[in-house]
Amino acid sequence: MSLLRVRDLAVDFFTSTKVIHAVRGIGFDIAAGERVGLVGESGSGKTTAALALMRMIRPPGCIVAGTAHLDDTDLLALGPEQVRDARLRLVSYVPQGAMNALNPVLRIGEQILDGVVDHDIALLKGERLALVENVLSSVGLPLGVANLFPHELSGGMKQRACIAIAMVLKPRIIIADEPTSALDVISQRQVMKTLCRVQEEMGCGLIMIGHDMGLMAQVADRIIVMRDGIIVEDAPVRELFQRPRHAYSRMLIDSVPTLGNRAEGAGQAADIATDEKEPLLTFDAVSKTFGSGLFGRTKKTALQPCSFRLASDHAQIIAVVGQSGSGKTTMARMILGLEKPSSGAIRYRGSALADLTGGAAQRYRREVQAIFQDPYGSFNPFYKIDHALAEPLIRFGLASGRKAVHARIEEACAAVGLKASEMLGRFPHELSGGQRQRLMVARALLLRPRLIVADEPVSMVDASLRMTILQNIEALKNDHRISIVYITHDLATAYHVSDYVLVLHEGRIVEAGPPEDVIQAPRHPYTQALVGAIPWPDPQRKWPDLPINMREQWPAPAVLRGRVPGFELKAA
Amino acid sequence: MSDRVVQIAEEPDWGSWRGKLLESGRYLARNPSLVAGLVLLGALAVFAGLGRLVVDVATAAPLSGPPSQPPSAAFPLGTDAQGRNLIAVMIEGTWLTLRTGIVAGALGIVAGGALGFVSAYIGGAADKVITWAVDVLLTVPAILFLVMISAVVQTGLSSMGMALIIAVLAWRRPARQIRSQMLVMRSSGYVDMAKLSGAGPMRIIFLEIAPNLLPFLVSSFVTAVAAAILAGIGLEAMGLGPQNEPTLGMTVFWIMTFSAFLQGLWWWILPPVVILIVLFVGLYLVNAGLDELANPRLRRRV
Repeated sequence: MSLLRVRDLAVDFFTSTKVIHAVRGIGFDIAAGERVGLVGESGSGKTTAALALMRMIRPPGCIVAGTAHLDDTDLLALGPEQVRDARLRLVSYVPQGAMNALNPVLRIGEQILDGVVDHDIALLKGERLALVENVLSSVGLPLGVANLFPHELSGGMKQRACIAIAMVLKPRIIIADEPTSALDVISQRQVMKTLCRVQEEMGCGLIMIGHDMGLMAQVADRIIVMRDGIIVEDAPVRELFQRPRHAYSRMLIDSVPTLGNRAEGAGQAADIATDEKEPLLTFDAVSKTFGSGLFGRTKKTALQPCSFRLASDHAQIIAVVGQSGSGKTTMARMILGLEKPSSGAIRYRGSALADLTGGAAQRYRREVQAIFQDPYGSFNPFYKIDHALAEPLIRFGLASGRKAVHARIEEACAAVGLKASEMLGRFPHELSGGQRQRLMVARALLLRPRLIVADEPVSMVDASLRMTILQNIEALKNDHRISIVYITHDLATAYHVSDYVLVLHEGRIVEAGPPEDVIQAPRHPYTQALVGAIPWPDPQRKWPDLPINMREQWPAPAVLRGRVPGFELKAA
Repeated sequence: MSDRVVQIAEEPDWGSWRGKLLESGRYLARNPSLVAGLVLLGALAVFAGLGRLVVDVATAAPLSGPPSQPPSAAFPLGTDAQGRNLIAVMIEGTWLTLRTGIVAGALGIVAGGALGFVSAYIGGAADKVITWAVDVLLTVPAILFLVMISAVVQTGLSSMGMALIIAVLAWRRPARQIRSQMLVMRSSGYVDMAKLSGAGPMRIIFLEIAPNLLPFLVSSFVTAVAAAILAGIGLEAMGLGPQNEPTLGMTVFWIMTFSAFLQGLWWWILPPVVILIVLFVGLYLVNAGLDELANPRLRRRV
């Protein structure tokens, strides 16, 4: 007996020139107590389908057909007042970005009661307190949180507060829209466990929207794979992972990196004595502190003093792994010269960045390039693609004349598997995220740099394209002898592409070494917690419980081990 | 993917002129207030521009006809108490008033924009000084300043001089607004990319960021023009304007000086009031229409 029966649901979006069939006649059932993962890439219609159940499709979108029976009520046929009543009481929603979903001027307790009051449920003061206490304890938050404002909570706590709001009226169905995509793996694990426990206690259905097959394998009972607005596969999770019937499901599963089958990089035992040569990049006790100044607010140390040197004759991929706020992006921006170090010196080919002038400065600018996280923001929306590609070529005097510039662009596009003739003359918004990110790789390649800083290059790209882009980046090292600093929060991809891994925690390097050691056999408690919290795409494997007092062990001294040719880290 | 998207109208191609026309036409069709505002302002421009071909604007000077005549064939809007031909006054006055507003507004936007750009992009001490100056000056009532300045330079003041006086204070609000827009844009990915491509600060400000602020700049220009016209009329109505030029504000001043209300000279009072109403409503509608374009929060997805 299923709780929710969706039949022939179709949602269209209308623009001035097109009708987009976002969801094209899908149907599925959800049983009470079942956790269903709704998986697909951006634009596959998964969020639209789920929002349609909440009747939260905004114009120009419109539900054009279908029924969604929850017991005997058709959610899609309710009038405006009934919809208000149904939300939160029958169907509730845990949003993606908890930081924007909570009202910044109301206390958490007030926000929990907001929905209760709105459903005309009169409670005495004592009952209200009991209710708030009850829901907070079931999401594992201390009672004191009721009197706090959202900005006083961490990201994981905010997301749990959102779950508390969603569960307060004991809904029949909870829709969770990528509830952990903005969180680090450790908080992700806590939030997902909380959500599952709450759902089990209430026995309601849970629809989890997401694209991370690893997370789905750990959480969902059944997975619905959507593509281009239709359901391509709907199967129990074990069956799907063992025998995916649709090629697209197989591709999604294969695109998640797993441990243990790392392609062995060549040239391990080469000469380690490279010290006599002038290194390409040196960090000399570099640190960065924000928020100092005349009217000093509290200082925040983004990066504690760290020293390393990267040789110029050995191209390596150095992964810098850490959660948001660990200082990894600060390190990247300092290498690029976009931020200045608070103390210490960064040297490029032996001279400090701050002292570079004239030709040397020009050379540094050209030889150190970047690929940023956001493929949407990296292109100026006012200009065509040509501007971003041709501009640096002309500026650095690498090519002159239309023909020469064009030839270079064609060559670089071909290197990342794109046709220049299809890209040039188009505006950035006409291209997909994956195409844009590959163009960014092509742009970096155009300048024949020596070092590329790749700051989360694949975190905003669909799973199916991640591997292609990472292969493009590996090719930069193998075919073009370019060193790469790969900044990421994703240990699994770092494991696969890098030659050396640095793990950062609150601005401090806690563990460093070759990926086989650091990620397969972590020794520092923080790295162990991180690796333990990764959801691997294997339904058989249990998501291990983390030690309760793990945070107390994190200040343990750094573990440095192993060396690779061309990169040398000095103990702080 | 192909069967998922159904084309129901021609996709405009921004590369060709036809595409640009089609896209702009569709945009205007969705934005009636912009169209209405442009029509009102266009009507005023036609009145001021074509009118001077039909009517001799030299008759806007005093003693061009008998005083206080009601509308007649010779004087379609009648004459005022000093014998000005009122139709000529309106044609010349509309033009002078618009010019004052446009000159003062443009100067304000250029100066304020430059300060805002520099302040936001360079930051540090320059930012502190500029922001402090703008904040302090914003608290000073503009009319007080303007009255003092124009009282000092009043003799022989022309309408162009008036525009310059108004421009002295017209840069404050644009400087602040443009600074905040610039702060948002400064941290965008393409600015970092431009830095990595070796572009200097001026190039980044004017070639990378400014084009993206264009809709916003146009909208603040319209606001600045409206504010400048309002300030000009205020000064003129107090008698601090150009005594020898028939601007709309000076007409209001003469109306009050010669007690036109008591004398019942309605043909003198009505035309400047109607023109000012059309002017301000037009500017308001254009600004409301541009707001959608300039304010990303209100911008609808196409």
